[in-house]
Amino acid sequence: MRTVRKIAMWAGAAAVLWVVKASLGLFVVNLLLVYVIVAVGLNLLMGFTGQISAGHAGFLAVGAYVAALVGTHAPQVGAVGALIAAGAAAALLGVAIGLPALRLAGFYIAMATLAFGVVVTEAILQMDVWTGGADGMYVLAPSLFGFPLDSDTQKFWLVLGTAVLAVWTAQNLAGSKVGRAFLALRESDVATETLGISTAAYRTLAFALSAFYTGVAGGLFAYVVSYISPDAFSIELSIDFVAMVILGGMGSIGGSIVGAALLTVLNQYLAVLQDFKALIFGLAVVVCMILMPGGVSAAWKAALERFRG
Amino acid sequence: MRRTTWWLATLAAVLLGVAAPAAAEVGVTADRILIGTSQSFSGPLVFPGTEEIAGIEAYLEYVNQSGGIHGRKIEWKWYDDGYKPQDAVANMKRLVEQDQVFCILINQGTSPVMAVVPYLEQKKVPLMFPFQGSSRLHGKKYVFTSFTYYDTQTQIVTRWLVEKKGFKRIGIIYQDDAYGKFFLNTLKKELEAKGLKIAAAESVKRGATDVAPQVAKIAQAGLDACLLALVPGPGAQVLKEAAKIGLKKTKLISSGPLTDEKFLILSGGVGEGVWGLSLWPDPVRDDSPAMQEYRKILKKYRPGHEPNRYNLYGYFYTKLFCEGLKRAGKDLTREKLIQALESIQNWENGIIPAVSFGPGDHQAQDQGFMVEVQGGRFVPVSGWLGIRDGKLVESPL
Repeated sequence: MRTVRKIAMWAGAAAVLWVVKASLGLFVVNLLLVYVIVAVGLNLLMGFTGQISAGHAGFLAVGAYVAALVGTHAPQVGAVGALIAAGAAAALLGVAIGLPALRLAGFYIAMATLAFGVVVTEAILQMDVWTGGADGMYVLAPSLFGFPLDSDTQKFWLVLGTAVLAVWTAQNLAGSKVGRAFLALRESDVATETLGISTAAYRTLAFALSAFYTGVAGGLFAYVVSYISPDAFSIELSIDFVAMVILGGMGSIGGSIVGAALLTVLNQYLAVLQDFKALIFGLAVVVCMILMPGGVSAAWKAALERFRG
Repeated sequence: MRRTTWWLATLAAVLLGVAAPAAAEVGVTADRILIGTSQSFSGPLVFPGTEEIAGIEAYLEYVNQSGGIHGRKIEWKWYDDGYKPQDAVANMKRLVEQDQVFCILINQGTSPVMAVVPYLEQKKVPLMFPFQGSSRLHGKKYVFTSFTYYDTQTQIVTRWLVEKKGFKRIGIIYQDDAYGKFFLNTLKKELEAKGLKIAAAESVKRGATDVAPQVAKIAQAGLDACLLALVPGPGAQVLKEAAKIGLKKTKLISSGPLTDEKFLILSGGVGEGVWGLSLWPDPVRDDSPAMQEYRKILKKYRPGHEPNRYNLYGYFYTKLFCEGLKRAGKDLTREKLIQALESIQNWENGIIPAVSFGPGDHQAQDQGFMVEVQGGRFVPVSGWLGIRDGKLVESPL
C-alpha cells in the first residue's frame, strides 16, 4: 500500500511538472525545482527548529554569485564543484548568522535575518568590481563532467537531480537523530537540554544546513536564469519562501514541495493579470491560510482521515 | 454550366487556400500580428511601467481602429515581472515559446532587460525599444534602443556647461554605487578632456534621507555647477537642503532620469532655477501638432491617464514601431522588420529630432536639451544638443 501511494505521488508530481511545462515552459519548471530546494531547506530551519528566517533570498544570492564567479574564474571546477562551493559559502554565513541568533528568540531572529538579506544585496552592490553591481552579471553555462549544459532541457536534468537528492536527504534527515533533535528544539529548549541535546550546536547546525540547501539552490538559480543582479534577491522573495513553507505546512517535506510549486506556478499564471497580480496573489495566499491553517500537508492528512472514516 | 462554374470556383478557392503560404512568420497571420512584453505592473517601477503600457495601448488601439497595418490588427499580451530578472526571463520564454509572439515591444529596467537580451538574440526575436539608457545594448542585431545613453547625456551636459556657459568649477553629488559612479567617471573623463578637474565630489548612500553634510561641503567648495546623479528621493532632499542654506551661487543640475515632474513634486516647490537635460518636449504644454495628436489619442483611448513622459515614451516608440511594420510590407517577417527599421532615414516626427537608423545603428535618439525649472515646470533654455564627431552641436527645438 505504501509503495503504491509513493508511486502515485511521484507520478502525480511528474504530471504536474508536465502540465507546467506545457503551459508555461520548461524554464518555469526549472525555477520551480530551484524554489523546491529552497523551501525544503528553509523548512529544516523553520518547520523543524521553529526559527523563522526572513532573509533566505540573501543565502540564495550568496550561492548564485559564488557559483557564477567560480564558473567565470575557475571553469575547470565544473557545475558540481561550483554548487558545492556555493552551498559551503552560504553555510559558513549561515553559521555566522546562527551563532548570534542563539541569543535571540522568535521574531527577533526574523528581524536579524531580514537585515541579513538587505546587507547581502548592499554588499553585492558595493563589490561591483566582481559582481557588476546594479548592472548585474551574466552567468556562463555550467558544465557537468565536461559536457556544457546550454539549453533549458539540459539544465532541467541537473536541477531535477539535485532537487531529488535534496528532498531524499531531507526526508532521511527528518527521521534521524538530528531531525528528532530539531523537532525537540521547536517544542522546548529546556526539555531538549535535559535530554542531553546541545541546543546551541543543533540550532547552529540547522542554520548551516538550511543555508547550504539555499546556497546550492542559488547556484542552480544562477545557471537557470543565466543572469543575476541584486534586483533578483529582493525582500519579497524571502517572504515568498516563508510563505511556501507555511502554506505547505511547517515540518512537512512534502508540504514544502507543494508550497513551492503552488506559489511559483500561481505567480507565473497570474503574471497575465498585470496590475491585479500582486493583489490576487496576496488574496489567494490569505484564503489558503484561512482554509488550511496547518498548511497543505495538514489539510491533506485531515482529508485522508475523513476518507478512511 | 452554372454547376461547373461553381465547382471550378470551389476548386480554385481550395487550391488557393492550399497554395497560400501558411503562417509566413511566427505571430503573424492574414489578419493579425501578435506582440508581447514583460513589464513592471508591480514593484519599484510600477508607475513608469503602467504609464508606458497606457501609451502603447492607446496608439495600438488607434492603429487598429484605423484599419491596422496592411490589413492586420495588432494584438498583444503583457505579463508582469515586478522588476525581477528571473520573472522577466520566465515571461519572455513564455511569450516566445508558448504564445509565439512576433516580437517584443518595450520592456523596462536594467536588470529585467539585460536578463532577456541574450535569449532574444539567440532566438532572433526583435526587441523593440526597451526603456533603459545603458550603452551595453549597443550593437545587437535584434535590439533597437530608444533614448540617449546615460554617458552621452553626461557628455552633453558637461560640454554645454563648459563651452556655452563658461563654467570651470564643476562638482557632483552621486549615489554611492555603480549607477552613481558611472556618472562620476564620465564627468571626470569629460572634464579632463577640457583640461579641468572635478572640483568637489560627494557621495550619498542609497536611500539616504540626510544629505546636509554633502550639501554643506558643496556650498564650501564654491562651485559654478553641481551635477546630481541620484534617484528622486535623495535628489529632492538635496534641493530642499540647498534651499534651506540659501545656496544660490551653485547651479544644481539633475542628471539621467531625474529630470522628471515627480522629482519636482517630491522637492515641494524648492526646485526653482534647477537645470536638467530633458529628452522630451513638455508632455502637457507643448503645442506642436504631433504633441497635440498624442494628447488627443491618449485622451480618447486611455482617458484615465494624464499626459506624462512615460506614456509619451510608450506612444512615441509604438508609433515608430508601426512605421517599421508599414515599411516591412505585406509579407512581414522578423528579418524584414529589422531591415525596414534600418532603412528609416530622417523620419520627421515632431516630437524628438528626426530619427535615422542603419545597419549597426539601432539607436533612435542621441540628443537632449537643457531645461530650467520655472514656475514648477521645465522650460527649455537651449536647443537640441548632441555630440557629433566628438563636438557639441546645437539645433533648434
